[in-house]
Amino acid sequence: MRTSEPTTPTRAFRGLGAFLWTEALVQAHESLAMATSMLVQAVLLVFVWILAPSLIGVALVGAILYSTFTMGQRVLNEAAYLRIDHKANDLYLAGPMAPEAYFLGMAGGTLLVYLAPVIVLGILAAVVLNLTLAQGLLIFALAATVWLFSASVGYVFSTFFRDNRAIWAYSSLFFNVFGVLPPVFYPYKLFPAALHPVALLMPPSAAAGLVQAALGVTYLSPAELALAVGGLIVETTTVFLFAIYWARRTVRGS
Amino acid sequence: MTDLALRSEDLRKVYHSKGAPATEALAGVSLEVRRGERVALLGRNGAGKTTFLRIASTLLRPTSGRIQVFGFDVDQTPEKARPYIAVVPQEGKPFFHLTPREQVYTYLRARGLTRENAKDRTEEALGKMGLTEVANRLSITLSGGQRQRVMVATVIATEAPLLFLDEPTIGMDPFARRAVWEAIRSLTRHGSTILLTTHYLDEAEALSHRLYVIERGRVLVTGTADDLKRSVGGTVKVLLPEGASQVDAFRSFGSCIADGDSLTIIVTPERLGEIMEVAVRLKLLATVGPVTLEEAFLRVVGRSIDEN
Repeated sequence: MRTSEPTTPTRAFRGLGAFLWTEALVQAHESLAMATSMLVQAVLLVFVWILAPSLIGVALVGAILYSTFTMGQRVLNEAAYLRIDHKANDLYLAGPMAPEAYFLGMAGGTLLVYLAPVIVLGILAAVVLNLTLAQGLLIFALAATVWLFSASVGYVFSTFFRDNRAIWAYSSLFFNVFGVLPPVFYPYKLFPAALHPVALLMPPSAAAGLVQAALGVTYLSPAELALAVGGLIVETTTVFLFAIYWARRTVRGS
Repeated sequence: MTDLALRSEDLRKVYHSKGAPATEALAGVSLEVRRGERVALLGRNGAGKTTFLRIASTLLRPTSGRIQVFGFDVDQTPEKARPYIAVVPQEGKPFFHLTPREQVYTYLRARGLTRENAKDRTEEALGKMGLTEVANRLSITLSGGQRQRVMVATVIATEAPLLFLDEPTIGMDPFARRAVWEAIRSLTRHGSTILLTTHYLDEAEALSHRLYVIERGRVLVTGTADDLKRSVGGTVKVLLPEGASQVDAFRSFGSCIADGDSLTIIVTPERLGEIMEVAVRLKLLATVGPVTLEEAFLRVVGRSIDEN
């Protein structure tokens, strides 16, 4: 028999690197989408530059976090599109590739391609805010956490839709409401005080609040710090682990 | 390893959806596919072919019954069965923003093949599917038939021990269909096993060692295409396009199958002369030909394969 494929049981994360590269190749062909991924951020930055130039540094950090947050929207759209229109789930998952590799490969490939404009924002923020290495690393770590959270949410949400048209409206609503309305692009202290705990429980605004505190723009009490850090860690870990569980579970319909 | 590539016993699937009555897609399907065989599931749209294939390929859970791939229980331990299988999904499409070469190669890499092996098999599969000339064009620029060929190339390149092909030649021109058939035959020569669904009777006859005729979630008959044709009761068919209303005049000659206005009579060659005399007397146009799977299907199922 010529067949020479490995016929060992599927290992966790098997096929991750190859599928990540596949997805990066697919996404890289969409150069216009890469440019438009910065549209909301660019518009808001221009507004801030005109209306409140002293806040441009805060807005730049917000733009970085918002960019990584909206990558979840891309994962949602891509995962649903490939499943509904291309039957890619059937092609890839009825085989030795691990379901979590499919999810993470898609998320990672999207990240790889859409990272370039985020790096540009990072350089701008470093120049404008004169960031220290520690502040830079904090922004990097928080942006990565927000990405992991939103990519996991995006993948899980994608499995609930049967029609691509419905997805566009819901995904746009979800990611813009949670990415723009809370204090991501503007200082935490300007958000209504009664809603501060809510802001600290939402990953993009929690991450923005922590960066603003590190930059000295915002004061967070020890309780607020604990809520923001604890919320980010618990929510991201929970959602990520659930997404892996869900990716494995939804290979098979019932 | 067991000699059976696939075995199902009394496999049932009932779909439940809110506000609609439950639908029984599979009503106790038992079948076996031996290693190296090409087996076709033949049936009308909605007969249960795709549901069976999705369960067998670990993509759908059965309501009850057992199904094994190379001895591994597909329902209980799908992760053990998956390395042995590959699927061409019904209505599947390649990534539009990959070239056929990228599509096949990256898929093989995701399945764990080495770079060198993946590269060799990619070129071989593209060649077999007649895609070499368009191998570096984005799939979005290809025709529907070419895209379907990319899907088939992607899966046959795996040379997985068991391949599930759900309507693999849909949308292809005759030349491309024959290329796919040859590639599928070549796979079984190299040790793979094929289970395909089709509603093209010529495809089932040309490709399969055995076939299962499925209707309303049940296996009605199984055997070779020749077995099925023999079961019709003759080797020659006389087609009378306007003969359905005169069926009584022909009943004594052999098996009569009315389909709309037309009447098909299955006879032995010895009785052909008598039938033609009656047809001439009744002023009916008649054509004579060998019995095909179409007559066998019509007789077994009671409806044409294209009838919904």
